[in-house]
Amino acid sequence: MEVKVLFFGVLAEVTGTNCKYFRDVKSLGNLKLRIEDDFPEVVHYNFRISLNNELTDKDLLLNDGDEVALMPPFAGG
Amino acid sequence: MLTNYLVNGPVSVNIISQFIENMSEMADAGGHSIFIGQVRNDEIKGKKVKAIEYSAYEGMVKIEADKIKKAILSEFGDTRSVEIIHSTGTVNAGEISLFVLVSSGHRHQAIEACRKAVEMIKEKLPVWKKEIFEDDSYEWRQNPQV
Repeated sequence: MEVKVLFFGVLAEVTGTNCKYFRDVKSLGNLKLRIEDDFPEVVHYNFRISLNNELTDKDLLLNDGDEVALMPPFAGG
Repeated sequence: MLTNYLVNGPVSVNIISQFIENMSEMADAGGHSIFIGQVRNDEIKGKKVKAIEYSAYEGMVKIEADKIKKAILSEFGDTRSVEIIHSTGTVNAGEISLFVLVSSGHRHQAIEACRKAVEMIKEKLPVWKKEIFEDDSYEWRQNPQV
């Protein structure tokens, strides 16, 4: 299985990418650790996570094709 | 009518005038309230902002903007419609980055609902901004926590 991870705002800048695919990740908690392994700099930033366009702070299980986004505080307007 | 809420670059006067033109089709509305957000040439640590570069999570913007519309229409029963247009990409100081139009039967709800819609947009729309200064240096900004 594979999930798509999107990086926005300052996180796209510090990771140097807008998008990365991760294979064989069981849950959001598991994914977060994998992201921190690949991009250790993200731990210095404040962000929220969405799973398939819904904000969540739970350690939800992931399925093939899920879309996860790492979102710094919003700044619209 | 635009259906995806986002335009690349500034919100043009042409887009805004189209919305105003379409108001006449809504003859049961007695009051329209408009909010226009403009990029301000703030001076920060001696440097002036020349532009803002916006980026957005487009799929989620659509979902969240739909939710904002629904919430406003259900809270303000006299409100007939809510329109939201936000910029992505570069918008120069003095140009428009946000347009909100709320149409209601009467003025009080139009004004109140528009104010509430703008606050919800600031809080809930997944949009990010980078302020670009005159010397091309930049800083990421965030909205104050509500």
